[in-house]
Amino acid sequence: MSLPQPPTPAKLIVGFFVKEKTLAAGIAQTLQDRLGPVDMISAWLDFDFTAYYEKEMGAPLSRRLVVFKTLVEQTELAAIKQMTNAIEQTYQRQGQRRVNIDPGYLLPERFVLASGKNFTHRIYIGQGIYADLTLIYQKGAFRTLPWTYPDYAGKHLIDFLTLVRKKYMLDLKQRELP
Amino acid sequence: MAINQELLDILACPQCKGEIRLNDAEDGLICEACRLVYEIRDDIPIMLIEEAKPLDP
Repeated sequence: MSLPQPPTPAKLIVGFFVKEKTLAAGIAQTLQDRLGPVDMISAWLDFDFTAYYEKEMGAPLSRRLVVFKTLVEQTELAAIKQMTNAIEQTYQRQGQRRVNIDPGYLLPERFVLASGKNFTHRIYIGQGIYADLTLIYQKGAFRTLPWTYPDYAGKHLIDFLTLVRKKYMLDLKQRELP
Repeated sequence: MAINQELLDILACPQCKGEIRLNDAEDGLICEACRLVYEIRDDIPIMLIEEAKPLDP
């Protein structure tokens, strides 16, 4: 029988993409107000792997990832997704989104994104939200899965997440210190 | 994975969200706009505003 163990605290990573880059400062500040201080932020990355959002949000779209200093409980992800959905709504104009926000968390062995959409490989985590196992970390590197979004399979994002993981492992080590 | 130009291209200053560059000693990341240096420890950039040091002490 396996004994139940408390889950490892997770590194919270929130990605967002916009057409109007001028919105970014306000979005990042709102996220910081709700989720605490940031300890890493990505440069602008092109969001050009899909045209799915262009009709609603325009083009070209650019993405940024914001990483938070305070580790979170894995069970918080659904509530965080609900909160970022509410932030998206505040930026809507004529019913069209101007920002798309995707929260997720990093653990030593995987990267998980929250989604409002069910799919074969997604697990329900409450509040109408599903967890998408996006990347796994094996043999010293992130590995994609058949359903990994092409942008999360891209070099820039994986390089960034690799750097975030290093910082996260340091965070975990420091938590263990007396 | 050491800090190199490729990695700098995917990182931004957490304060101004602007560009950063590696210092000459390769042990810190400089944001010219904020005049801050973010220390690199064991190949990990510590991108915390409260731990950043002024570029011109």
